[in-house]
Amino acid sequence: MDFSFSKKEEKFRQELRTWLEENLPQGWLHGDRELPEDINEYSRFLRDWQRKLYEGGWGAIAWPKAYGGREASLIEEIIYQQEMVRVSAPPLVNYVGIHMVAPLLMQMGSGEQKSAYITKIISGEEIWCQGYSEPNAGSDLTAIQTTAVKKGDRWVINGQKVWTSFGHLADRCFLLARTSKGEKKHHGITVFLLDMHQEGVETRPIIQMDGEHEFNEVYLNDAIAYDSDIVGEIDRGWQVMIALLMHERTGIGGQVFTLEQQFQDLVTMAKEWTEDGQSVIKKESVRNALIDLYAKSRGSLLNYYRNLTKTLKKGQPGSEGSLDKLIVSEATQELFALSLSIQGPHGILWKQDAAIGDSYWQNKYLYSFGMTIGGGTSEVQRNTIAERILGLPKDLGR
Amino acid sequence: MDFALNKEQELFGSYVRKYLTEQGTTNIARAFINGDRQRFDQAFQGLVELGYPSINVSEDYAGMGLGLLDMVLPLEEMGRSVLPGLFLETNSFAVPLIEKYGTEKQKQKYLPAIADGSLQISVAWIEPKGSYKASSIQVSGVEKGDDFVLNGVKSLVADVELADTFLVPIRTTSSSHEEGISLFLVDKAMIKNVTQQQSIDETRKLSQIHFEDVIVNKEQLLGELNEGDNILEEGLLSFNASICAIMVGCMAAIVDMAAEYAKIREQFGQPIGRFQAIKHAIANMKVDLELSRSLSYYANWAYDTAAEDRQESIFAGRIFIHNALQKAAAANVQIHGGIGFTEELDCHLYVKRARYYEHYLGSRESYYEKAAAALGW
Ligand SMILES: Cc1cc2nc3c(=O)[nH]c(=O)nc-3n(C[C@H](O)[C@H](O)[C@H](O)COP(=O)(O)OP(=O)(O)OC[C@H]3O[C@@H](n4cnc5c(N)ncnc54)[C@H](O)[C@@H]3O)c2cc1C
Repeated sequence: MDFSFSKKEEKFRQELRTWLEENLPQGWLHGDRELPEDINEYSRFLRDWQRKLYEGGWGAIAWPKAYGGREASLIEEIIYQQEMVRVSAPPLVNYVGIHMVAPLLMQMGSGEQKSAYITKIISGEEIWCQGYSEPNAGSDLTAIQTTAVKKGDRWVINGQKVWTSFGHLADRCFLLARTSKGEKKHHGITVFLLDMHQEGVETRPIIQMDGEHEFNEVYLNDAIAYDSDIVGEIDRGWQVMIALLMHERTGIGGQVFTLEQQFQDLVTMAKEWTEDGQSVIKKESVRNALIDLYAKSRGSLLNYYRNLTKTLKKGQPGSEGSLDKLIVSEATQELFALSLSIQGPHGILWKQDAAIGDSYWQNKYLYSFGMTIGGGTSEVQRNTIAERILGLPKDLGR
Repeated sequence: MDFALNKEQELFGSYVRKYLTEQGTTNIARAFINGDRQRFDQAFQGLVELGYPSINVSEDYAGMGLGLLDMVLPLEEMGRSVLPGLFLETNSFAVPLIEKYGTEKQKQKYLPAIADGSLQISVAWIEPKGSYKASSIQVSGVEKGDDFVLNGVKSLVADVELADTFLVPIRTTSSSHEEGISLFLVDKAMIKNVTQQQSIDETRKLSQIHFEDVIVNKEQLLGELNEGDNILEEGLLSFNASICAIMVGCMAAIVDMAAEYAKIREQFGQPIGRFQAIKHAIANMKVDLELSRSLSYYANWAYDTAAEDRQESIFAGRIFIHNALQKAAAANVQIHGGIGFTEELDCHLYVKRARYYEHYLGSRESYYEKAAAALGW
């Protein structure tokens, strides 16, 4: 048992840290972390940041060198995430591209697809979104109704996607569409690399409960794709989805490290927040709730490390990822719920009237509700844990 | 970065598992409840032969000189079996204290005997209606020549029958503060008056010890006079790291039991494990189990390496794991339905042991206070 990092790994950390200090946007390290309001400027800002990472050799460290990566080890990826969390680096607008699409294309894409997309992903030139969910297909993705029909040399795509994160900024979409009705529901689905900049694609904003606009509805009306846009085989998109899971080496590491930091911030807040002249951390109810949360957030981190150790030994992630996802999303939700309770009656104040700064706690609290839904709901994770890890019988209907 | 137990530790755990399985796991506890000590004695001897009691005794005193982390898996196995016995009290509480504070004579007298399994120690701390606070300790020790004369009553003392010696905090001054408590090693031969108490957890036999002019030589004082409170605090670190491991073992058995039953019990034409009310309850136990296991491993590692965050890790770990165990034990009864409510299945053994641990050697509330203090809040 050893929680330290090797000299080489620490050197890597130091190199990244130095680079970040020199290259983060102006004022970022000193807490000036405002992102532009205007959608175009916002998009520009995040793409610029991605380009800067790329130029510094930090755009996608796990990738092969030939594509601009540095063939980083799993541990180096972990360190990378820790350091990004430490400086609250700007969000990775091209998460879908870097962690899903490109690694998948490297594995099973055509030569043409590789040369067309991979470099543009790492440089931030093209942003990708993920087009899975539909109004009638969420947890059950086999229920998708969007169709792609071959007409001449074109695939004509019709249907509706929903909850498409960054769809309004994206240039291309990793899209699931039905190309035939298979005897089983997960047969007949095909993965397309869809151009978002075309007449047949319309993106409409959805406002989330935190008042923000990150995800969208995407309407597909005779949108066009070609054979060369298909990944894997026609009708066998489900295999592609399974292959994708194997690329999630670091799992939810970023969220775990973020939780650790947020817990420290919460403790600081609880110390500074006074009620009738006394710091609320001295209140027994607050103190006990914080200790419960301390155990839970430490537990999340340690459990993540334990699973990571297994991944390192086995060479690939196991089903334990569903455990980590469930734990960290629920703990984060609990943390922000407590943060508002701690502020007493004033916790209800929002936006410019919030008691603390820029309404950080209220915004995060509202945002945290998405964490137990997006990326597979908590209920679906519990099914996975019970079925894959404990061997309980499968759900009805499956 | 390597957060896993090593090969030797895994191997030792698997020996203990194999051995306790051969001995009938919870049947040892069941026999013990029914007054049949033989099965326990036999199991204990087997664990002695495997080397358990010598693990953390230093090599100078015929032990293996290993740490708490090396006891984690054996303890998990004992938890699975709800094994009776003074394993925690002897090796996880007394041994580190005797190693650290004992005189050479005390070490010679106790440590090799513990290592070879011929001596076990119980803790006689709390008093009737009292708490674990130093201010609550009223049993008095009055100096008389080379001896102290002890008077008063200790309550809830675990397994007097199995114990050879007791660690006993005694009030040695008249003030009622932390200062004024001294820790004595009292051998059973000195104790004459013991009355049994009924406990919900019948795998542990509880007693009151009546000290009536019990004479204890000064040589039996552990550490400095009037420093007992600090010494006890020190002992609670190792004790609680180990209790984390044993509770994880209880929980692991519960998860196995519940998952197995949910696969074979059918109602409405299907295994009950297909109903999500059952399935998700079991998934929740599993999540808590894995979190607990991670916290337990870390707490024990932190103790062995004297890590900066060892206190908060151990105390918050105990709180979390105990809550999780108590929840899992209760859910396990519910998942089994009517049969879960009987004495026949093991469900109740875990419920009762979980309850026993809730305030054992420190109340839940006191551990919140200690964790907060360690975190500087
Ligand atoms: C912040 C955020 C970002 C997202 N980004 C994207 C994106 O970029 N691209 C994309 O395609 N999608 C995205 N999604 C959508 C997300 O994947 C779906 O919301 C999610 O899979 C759940 O589907 P649903 O909303 O249709 O809910 P439903 O599946 O209808 O679920 C409703 C409720 O029923 C429960 N339920 C469903 N099935 C079961 C079952 N078998 N057992 C027990 N309970 C069940 C669910 O747990 C939930 O509580 C995002 C969602 C969020 C919140």
